[in-house]
Amino acid sequence: MHPLRLQVTDPVIMKVFRNPDVLWREEDEQKAQAYEELAKGEDVEEIGTSVLFSDGVMLSLNIIGTEIWKQCDGRGVEEIIADLIDRFEVDPDVLRKDATAFLAELEQKGFIRYED
Amino acid sequence: MKTNNFLKAPLTINWAVTNRCNFKCRHCYSRTDPSEELDTRTLFACIEKIVSAGVLSINFGGGEPLLRKDLLEISAFAAGLGLRVSMNSNGYLIDRERALGLKAAGFSKVGISLDSHVADVHDNFRGISGSHEKAVAALAYLREARIKTSISTVICRINHHSIQEVIAFAVGHGVHQLNFHNFKCSGLGYSNKDELDLSAQEWKEFYINAMEAKQEVKDLEISLDDPIIASLGMKTETDSLVKGSVCGKLSLNIKSNGDITPCGFIPIVIGNIVSDELKHVWNTSPVLDRMRNKKPTGKCSTCKSYEDCLGGCSARALALTGDFNNPDPHCWVHES
Repeated sequence: MHPLRLQVTDPVIMKVFRNPDVLWREEDEQKAQAYEELAKGEDVEEIGTSVLFSDGVMLSLNIIGTEIWKQCDGRGVEEIIADLIDRFEVDPDVLRKDATAFLAELEQKGFIRYED
Repeated sequence: MKTNNFLKAPLTINWAVTNRCNFKCRHCYSRTDPSEELDTRTLFACIEKIVSAGVLSINFGGGEPLLRKDLLEISAFAAGLGLRVSMNSNGYLIDRERALGLKAAGFSKVGISLDSHVADVHDNFRGISGSHEKAVAALAYLREARIKTSISTVICRINHHSIQEVIAFAVGHGVHQLNFHNFKCSGLGYSNKDELDLSAQEWKEFYINAMEAKQEVKDLEISLDDPIIASLGMKTETDSLVKGSVCGKLSLNIKSNGDITPCGFIPIVIGNIVSDELKHVWNTSPVLDRMRNKKPTGKCSTCKSYEDCLGGCSARALALTGDFNNPDPHCWVHES
């Protein structure tokens, strides 16, 4: 990762916001299916529970991606990650790495922005 | 954290709210369509239906949507329900006051049809003298009203060698997006295809040049909506949830009388928004099922690009071969 990006996404000082121009919705049936399978201990990584699109760019997100997206409402990145660690059985280090990369991609696409 | 899944409802509805038009375009797909229109109240009820189904955006077209006197009322209603509202227009009826009215009625984006940077070429293609000047003025009024603009250019014999000029024109007029639309061969586009359509090799040359331009231009988003580009193996920066045509996978079309079709260029009616539930049509239509699960035939059977292009544009295959499952006749890839 470019060193400047680390400054921009510094979770201690930066808050993350969804771009209001991005259209998005949760996919109710698939969300229910994902949570049902998650409860059984199944791998739900490939089940899309939400879809985002803006100016021709579209993304389908799984449970964790969706929960991160929904919490991009002014919270800090570390706060979002802490919440997910509480709610899902995930390795904190893996989640932190994946979430950081995911947020960097959302920022690059213009789907989120950071503010002090 | 990204996946690839089927959607519960279309993301976008393209809605031809009228088939009336003040232009005489030589490629028009809808001149032979029925002229009945849903009244305002019925449209409101239908818009409520699509919102409850989960649709996020609505794009008005036609015909010329501004010929409906209640268009702003319809738009304000749709925007009030949370839909992102946009429109494709020839721009002829958009002056400063109308642009401000569109903004107030919730339009976030308006696409203006412009087929050439040369006024006479555009006017001749659209059949109305002075239409280019009006379209250019409309872009300025919309920008003043703080509505995002795009230019929609139908690629055909009059403009396929003018990529750089059209791009420079779009940049010079401050538009947000330039859409290069492939030539669909529907309606008058079919009648006039021998005069207007390109050969498969010409399409290949156009797309190579357009893709290179897309990667070079920084101040303008260039959209190329043709799935056969996949066979070029050139990197695109646009993410899409689906392969092949987006029709019936991300979007649906509704005609002026409420009939639902997979897209505006595929005249197969799969329901009617007045009498049917959108989600039911979306989930159970055998036509949509076939479109979402196309099977390679002919040269597609051995083509290594098939999994990305899925046979190309379904509308064009249907128009020219009678079956949307057939290979797109514009495809330049030879049988192996």
